[in-house]
Amino acid sequence: MAITDELAALQESTLADIAKAENTEALDQVRVAVLGKAGTLTAYLRSMGQVPPEERAVVGKTVNATRVVVEDALASRKKELEAAELDAAISAAAVDVTLPGRAQQMGTRHLINRITDEICEVFLGLGYTVAYGPEVETDYYNFEALNAAADHPSRSMQDTFYVHDLSGDASKVRGESDVLLRTQTSGVQVHVMEDQELPIYIVAPGKVYRRDVADPSHLPQFNQIEGLVVDKNITFGDLKGTLDYVCKKIFGEERKTRFRAHYFPFTEPSAEVDVSCGICHGEGCRFCKGTGWLELLGCGMVDPNVLRMSGIDPEEYSGFAFGLGVERAACLKYNVPDLRMLLEGDMRFLRQF
Amino acid sequence: MKISLKWLSEYIDVPQDIKKFCDRLDLTGTGVEGVEKTGDMFDHIVTAKVLTKEQHPDSDHLWVTTVDVGEANLGENGQPEPLQIVCGAQNFNAGDHIVTAMVGATLPGDFKIKKSKLRGVVSMGMNCSARELGLGNDHDGIMILPEDAPVGMPLADYLGAGDTVLDLEITPNRPDCLSVAGFAREVGAMYGKDWTHPVYAMAEKMELDTQAEPVDTQVEITIDDPVRCPRYTARVIRGCKVAPSPDWLAERLTAIGQRPINNIVDVTNYILFLLGQPLHSFDLDKLTDANGHAHIVVRAAEEGEKLTTLDGEDRTLTSDMTVIATPEKGAIALAGVMGGLDTEVTEETTNILLEAATFEAGRTSRTSRNLGLISESSLRYERGVDDHDIDLRSAAAAALIAEVSGGTVSYATVNDQGIVDVWDQISPVHNLEFRIPRFCGMMGADIPRENIVDILVRLGCEVTEGENEETLAVVAPTFRPDLEREIDLYEEVLRLWGMDKIPPTLPGGRMRVGVRSNEERKLDIINNTLRACGLNETVTYSFAEPSDLQKLHMSTEGLGLPVELINPLNADQSVMRQSIIPGLLRSVSYNQNHGVKNVQLYEVGTVFFAAEGRKKPKERRKVAGVLAGAMGDATWNATPAAFDFFDGKGVIENLARELALPKVRFKALSAEEAPHLQPGRAAEILSGGTVLGWVGELHPLAVKAYDADAPVVAFELDLAALVKSSEPARPYVDVPTFPAVTMDVAFVVDEAVTHERMMQCMSSAGGKLLEDARLFDVYRNEERLGKGKKSMAYALVYRAADRTLTSEEVDKTHERLVKKVCGATGAEVRG
Repeated sequence: MAITDELAALQESTLADIAKAENTEALDQVRVAVLGKAGTLTAYLRSMGQVPPEERAVVGKTVNATRVVVEDALASRKKELEAAELDAAISAAAVDVTLPGRAQQMGTRHLINRITDEICEVFLGLGYTVAYGPEVETDYYNFEALNAAADHPSRSMQDTFYVHDLSGDASKVRGESDVLLRTQTSGVQVHVMEDQELPIYIVAPGKVYRRDVADPSHLPQFNQIEGLVVDKNITFGDLKGTLDYVCKKIFGEERKTRFRAHYFPFTEPSAEVDVSCGICHGEGCRFCKGTGWLELLGCGMVDPNVLRMSGIDPEEYSGFAFGLGVERAACLKYNVPDLRMLLEGDMRFLRQF
Repeated sequence: MKISLKWLSEYIDVPQDIKKFCDRLDLTGTGVEGVEKTGDMFDHIVTAKVLTKEQHPDSDHLWVTTVDVGEANLGENGQPEPLQIVCGAQNFNAGDHIVTAMVGATLPGDFKIKKSKLRGVVSMGMNCSARELGLGNDHDGIMILPEDAPVGMPLADYLGAGDTVLDLEITPNRPDCLSVAGFAREVGAMYGKDWTHPVYAMAEKMELDTQAEPVDTQVEITIDDPVRCPRYTARVIRGCKVAPSPDWLAERLTAIGQRPINNIVDVTNYILFLLGQPLHSFDLDKLTDANGHAHIVVRAAEEGEKLTTLDGEDRTLTSDMTVIATPEKGAIALAGVMGGLDTEVTEETTNILLEAATFEAGRTSRTSRNLGLISESSLRYERGVDDHDIDLRSAAAAALIAEVSGGTVSYATVNDQGIVDVWDQISPVHNLEFRIPRFCGMMGADIPRENIVDILVRLGCEVTEGENEETLAVVAPTFRPDLEREIDLYEEVLRLWGMDKIPPTLPGGRMRVGVRSNEERKLDIINNTLRACGLNETVTYSFAEPSDLQKLHMSTEGLGLPVELINPLNADQSVMRQSIIPGLLRSVSYNQNHGVKNVQLYEVGTVFFAAEGRKKPKERRKVAGVLAGAMGDATWNATPAAFDFFDGKGVIENLARELALPKVRFKALSAEEAPHLQPGRAAEILSGGTVLGWVGELHPLAVKAYDADAPVVAFELDLAALVKSSEPARPYVDVPTFPAVTMDVAFVVDEAVTHERMMQCMSSAGGKLLEDARLFDVYRNEERLGKGKKSMAYALVYRAADRTLTSEEVDKTHERLVKKVCGATGAEVRG
């Protein structure tokens, strides 16, 4: 048989083998058998020297042509098989996407601090600085410098936690002490006015303590955010505008605020601020006890006595202050049924926020 | 305070719309805590007249009546239409005036009146007996009203029971509002309405008995200390007959929840509620000496002095309390708080000494607080009772006592008022300037001058032109102790003008930026890192048990003395915490006891250290955490490992990285150094030379003491130390451009050789070319390695920053490293 015939036969059988190869591995075996070092076609290429010179051109051309055909067939079959194999691999890898993911557990922020963050953030945007003060205070910073009368009922042993004064000073009032757990964050106002340059724009979040037995709506330890502004030409309108802005940012733009005249020893004029009920939008419902309003915070213009005691001239400067109960804001926002949950550390509660 | 609107309306027009009235009260500073309609139980019950009365066709003892209820029942044509009612009573006739409960009424005992049929005849209500109405025991028949009784009037109105009582929150600066008259003035100012003060007409009614022994010869008053008692007055009323009060008086008191007692006591209560003046009536004959003289002494109580108060309680007094006393009897009343039992008015009393006085606010408040005895009197004295016009209010009371008891008021020789009056300390009258432009500037609104003047005048101020046209001269009334300064007047005008009318603005001001302090920014990093580590923030009580540190086995060294509460709520919360861990352990226990086994908690909070001789304790903020169980329950594709020491340490390592803490070391803590931790699983954390805190597994006994299940991994770090050590940023290091060579080596060493030691040796031996040494395996096997030995396998990464290392260089460095490590630690290379 002539070489060209042999080559034609080889080409035919190789193409048949390629078509039969069921996967890329089998196809590669075909490739090696034909085109590998010891491949059948390679053998013809290697033996070109033994071909008589007059046939060499024809045979060479035929061998090369056969190689091109085989290589093309291999490439196209390979492409086909690879596509099929990828398809198979992909369909084999399909998962139930509703199975739970593989997530690293993220911790949570405590609800009270989350709300404190939110509120402080709004005030930072308004150009306020965050300040802190001690939780154990002297009578001066908690009451006296805030214009509270010496016999104000809030100073009583029923309402204020007193601690043993280890300085040896005698207490002014029988059974009480000069040192106490602060009942309000307002003392921070006094520290700030004594220590900082004017003007003052601060918010002071922190824990406060009152002698209430823990029940669903009371805690002996809770949180307030105090605010204080002292500057020239501060008006009651500024107080209204500021608190209205903050309430809208925290509770939603659709909420309204209402200022009710009230009395606090360290502000004058004083007011309590209500925010419109988010459930009935002011119509009156069970949540707001039919009033349409929810009590949120106390505020007022800083009393001139308080300014003067801290060495600030009330004729030149004026200011406003406010104190907001964070637990109260939390309840208004999340409807927490029992405040004691805030101090239990129950994972099932904490991980909700 | 409870205010009867019916009573109030005697002095001022009360707005008809109660809801709007309450809103206005709320906005102007008087909180409304409750609204009670006293006639509600008589809803749908009206006065009526029997038109016809006929025998029931089917019964011998029932009557079919038609009853005129006037406009209470309108027919389809809008005209009054009588009701047909079947009735079983026998005591009435056509034409009688009666009381009818119509359909919709509810009688006492929750008996609802409905349309019904009685033996086939329709009945549209019920004619009522007094007992059925809850008005008495008479059930002999239905109530028959007088012939002139109106028809169709709501029974509540007919009985005068239709009243609305408001429960008001009067702020402590407003003693004047603790009376009907004072509140009438407030309502007048709220609505710009005129009103009539009742005291003048009442006082004018007093007639003096010139035949009796003059009050000033019979009664002498001595005030020891005018600060304790600025003014004390007495009157004598003779020949009184103590009896039940007349209906109108009893009704007034009943309406506001006061129980009528007798005519004398009721008048003193009536005047207290009407005029805000606490009064006390003594039985004069129980005060007099052998000569019939009464010597009233107002003085400090003696330490340990005894007094039985009106409520029958024996009280032991202290020297900061003030008493009313006589030389013979000693203390007879606790000034401003409560009278004594011995000298009280009884049915036998005929002669009365009427006290009207003022007492020091602070002392009265402390006395009532210390004795747990808060009375209507003490409530008013502690807020301030006006010492001016006491004579007038006392005259009004005396006149009324005389009127209701038939007594006469004794005259006096020294004045024509029939009073003994010692007034040693007169409260000042405040003359104030009101600068209108300053006021408007501070409020941020232009409030017209005439409105300012009108508000102030209606509140009782005298207002005249000031020094110039922009000011007003204001004399504040003495019944308003809270109006001492110009700013006090601003508040009054603002609240009555209306806070809602002030336009909201935001403060201006240049050069103002909100900044967070370094500590807060670091705290944000700490919070974010701990949460990223899977820890949940919690807050526990700052209060602690005195035995907490002992239970925890924690050394008190460096923690100072506990801050002890004088008046704790309970023994478990009687000191302030010195560590956050006990609180967190309680939460671990709480969770475990509620079936939550995986607990990852942290808290940033204050701990308190007191010291002898120091007034205030030191407060330090701590960052503490606890880990119990695992990070989560096993899931289909992951099984979290149970927490151990290294989970706690890993949290600290993350913190150290995020805070850029330099040179962080973990130093093993011995049992002596940290008795609260399990020895061998406890480390101190240092950054450079600064101790940051500790991390470790809590001692199983400590965990057990808190009723929790071990192991519990915990850490407690000092916030200030973290902030101080934290560097502003980590330095930039070039990203490597040349390839690294990694060589693995396993050293067999004694158990005592620490990873830290190995690292030190390797890094000093490896020099610059050693980029990283990662421990990837720790292996123990007594047979293969020997007793007390472990194999520590490290992947060592060699790299040069400026060239590709040759294999010769790496081999040389690595050989030297291995040799040095072996020499320094006694390690052998595991084959």
